[in-house]
Parts: sequence; structure tokens; C-alpha cells
Amino acid sequence: MKNSTLVFRSLGILIFLAGLAHLFSFGVDTSDDSPTPTTETSTATEQQPEAEVPTEKPTANSAYNPETDPLIGQWKVAYNTKDFKGAIVYKIKKEGKVFNAYTHQYQDENGYAQKAEGTKTLTITQFNGSKGKGIYSIEYEGEQYEVDCKIALTDENTFTLSYDYYGYGDVETWKRQ
Amino acid sequence: MIDFLAKKLEWLDVHHWFYIFNDLSLFYIIIPFFVLELIRYAYLKRLDKDLVLDSIANVITFGGFFLIEIILGILAITKVYYWVYNNISLPHLELNWATVICCVLLADFAYYWEHRTMHRIGIGWATHTVHHSSPHFNMSVAYRFGPLDAIMPIVFSLPIVMLGFDPILVLLSEVFVQVFQTLLHTEIIGKLTKPIEFIFNTPSHHRVHHGSNRQYWDKNYAGILIIWDRMLGTFEPEKEKVIYGISQPINSVNPIVVFFHGISRFVKKLGQIKGFSNKLLAFVKPPDWMPKQ
Ligand SMILES: [Zn+2]
Ligand SMILES: [Zn+2]
Repeated sequence: MKNSTLVFRSLGILIFLAGLAHLFSFGVDTSDDSPTPTTETSTATEQQPEAEVPTEKPTANSAYNPETDPLIGQWKVAYNTKDFKGAIVYKIKKEGKVFNAYTHQYQDENGYAQKAEGTKTLTITQFNGSKGKGIYSIEYEGEQYEVDCKIALTDENTFTLSYDYYGYGDVETWKRQ
Repeated sequence: MIDFLAKKLEWLDVHHWFYIFNDLSLFYIIIPFFVLELIRYAYLKRLDKDLVLDSIANVITFGGFFLIEIILGILAITKVYYWVYNNISLPHLELNWATVICCVLLADFAYYWEHRTMHRIGIGWATHTVHHSSPHFNMSVAYRFGPLDAIMPIVFSLPIVMLGFDPILVLLSEVFVQVFQTLLHTEIIGKLTKPIEFIFNTPSHHRVHHGSNRQYWDKNYAGILIIWDRMLGTFEPEKEKVIYGISQPINSVNPIVVFFHGISRFVKKLGQIKGFSNKLLAFVKPPDWMPKQ
């Protein structure tokens, strides 16, 4: 068999199988890809008009984008694990097209607060106003891992962040400070 | 159907299914089947010292291979795979039935090319000849591996990671292909029904692959699907009785000799080749290549 035939047939097989996988991953909408949040997600859309600057229309040039900017600000997450009992306050900033969350403050069980180093912990790469995707760095048994995560706005002051790392997963609730 | 294929899966479940097939199959298929083969050998009065020692050598070479695989795994899989996945890959795929099935098929296709390469380049054959050097054909032969057998799969599976498949899924799929292949190393099963023999790699097809008969050389490279061989011109059906082994037999059951015979033959060959560039060429030219003097 000619080498060119081998190359063409092999490429054909590769493109077909990879294409199929991408089609079923991004092309087919199964609509149930939100993590099960503790409260109804449907309220998020209803509350949209009550966003911080409700009069401003979302134009392309406007500095404020009510679709995505609800994420900006300080958020508190309570943890209750073996390694850490207390809460962390994160600061979410919009940087270019993505949102980055930096550690801002640690609070222990008794409410004693300590300034954090400002480490980038979460990058939200996609957000449509109620749901989004990103990369979250978690610490597990002393090692740092970058895992894919999903976020879903419950209301304007709460969102859930969920991830599943080979069966080790969690759902966190982020509350606006 | 489409909804089913696109339905999101949990990692824990996927892990579990692969665990049942990849790991536990050793206990519920492979070992029982090997016992059955031993009984058959005994019945045919073929169960002699050579066969037993050959089987033991097979398992020992697997130990050597496994050790190298573990070291490589820690270095390459965790570092290189993830670097590729996070830096030069298409958008990461979700975990659903369609992506799992496509990943297994791609791993199978990668295996075809990896296996074909192992047969057709000098350094590849130097390690893969170990797998082919047994004059017997049973489940234990499936475990007969050469020292560098773990390297080539990494090269061939990286493109799958680049396509957006999770490195761990790729790895599990590769093992899945390997375990499927293991089950084909037997003389007990004759030919299966036509449609199965047409689509899948079977014991009959893989016997041909292990044949030292001239028409059987470099044929039937498949892992799970024989259609890759049919599409890419390397298919050969089992007709003449297969004589197992390689063209220059090693006549040894010493695990050290078995494990390193390919490498030592290759080194000897390099010694006979004159000129540095020719020596380098010997690594990538077919195993029977010799520079024109
Ligand atoms: Zn082979
Ligand atoms: Zn084999």
C-alpha cells in the first residue's frame, strides 16, 4: 500500500473519531450540566433586572456588563475539613476576558482573621450570567492540582462551585461579603 | 441514543468499569484460562519442562517491564501528559459514553501504529522481539515484554491527549486495549463466527501475528479491531498451521537472555555497521536493514 494512502486513511480515522468525541462533548446540549445547587437556580434569571446598575443597557462598549460582572467583588467560602476549619475570603477581579479569584483573607473557626498572600486560586474562563466554567486549584494531601470546575449563580450574592477530580470532588458555596 | 451517548458520566463509575475489566480480569478470566491451557497441554502430552520454564520466564519479563513502566509512568505520564493536556490540547472533552468509546477506539488505533512501528524500525524490534520469541502460544506469552516496550506507547498516545482527551482516560483505554489483546493468546479457541472475525482481532488473527511462517511476518498488528489491518493493508488470514516464534530462535528459557536478547543482538549489529550516520539509521530503518557497503 502506498504511503500516501496510509497517511490519508489514518488521518481520516483520526479526524472521524476525534470529531465524534468533540461533537458529543460540545455539540449536543444535554442541558443538565449544572451541578445540583442547594437552592433553585431558576431564581437567578428572575433576579437579573435587579443587578447593581439596572438602568444601564448592556452595550458592547459599556464598562459594566451585567451579564458577567456580578462576579466581581469579595466572596467568602466556609470550609470544614480535616486540614482547615474556618473560611477564606477571595477577591474576584476581571482580568482581560477571564475572572481571577485571589485569596484575600483567612478566618479561623473563632473568627480570627489573617491577611492572605493573594494567591490566584480560581480562573473563570466562561460565564454567561448564570453558569460558567473555569480552572480551580485545589490542595490535596500537600499537592497542588489544577482541576476543571463549574460555577452556577444561585442568586446575586451566592454561587456554587463544583469540581470532580477523578472521583474526588466537592461543591463549595461562595457568598458575597 | 444520542442523549445516552452524550450523558455525563462520573469519574468514579468510569474508573470502576475499567478496574473490573483492566485489573480484575486477571483473576476471573486470565488465570482460569491459563489453568485450562495447562490441562490441555497435559492431555496432549505437551506439558514439559521447557513449556513450564518458558511460562515462568514470560512472567519474569513482565516484572522487568512493569518496573520500567512504573518509573516511566511517574516521570512521563504525570508530567508530560498533563503538560500537553494543559498547554497544547484542543478544548478538554467532557466525560460521557461517546468520549469514552472514542477514546478506546483511538487508543486501539494508536496501538495499531505503535505495534506496526515496533515491527518496522530497528530499535522497536530490538525490544518487541521479546514478545515474539516464545515458541509457544498461551496466555503467559501475552506477558512477555521487552525492556523498552513501555516507551513507544507514550509517543503514540500523546496525540490523543492533544485531541482533548483526559490523560487518565487515555491511560485506562491503553490498558484496556492491552488486556483485550492478552485474551487472544491461546490455541484453545479456533475461528469465531464470520462477522466477529471480520471486525475484531481474534485468537486466530493473533496466532498469525506470532507466526514465523514467511507469509505471516509483520501481519495483523491489531489490538481490538482487525479492521485497522484490513484498511491499512496488513491483514493475513490464518490458513497454514502457524509455527510460533522468530526467524532466528533464541532457544533459551533464561529470563535474562529472553529479556535482553533483542537489545544485545541490536548492539552487535551496530558494531558491525560502519559509520556513525549508518549506526543512527539502524535505529529507524527496518530490522533487516543493512547499509550497502
Ligand atoms: Zn508484534
Ligand atoms: Zn502477542
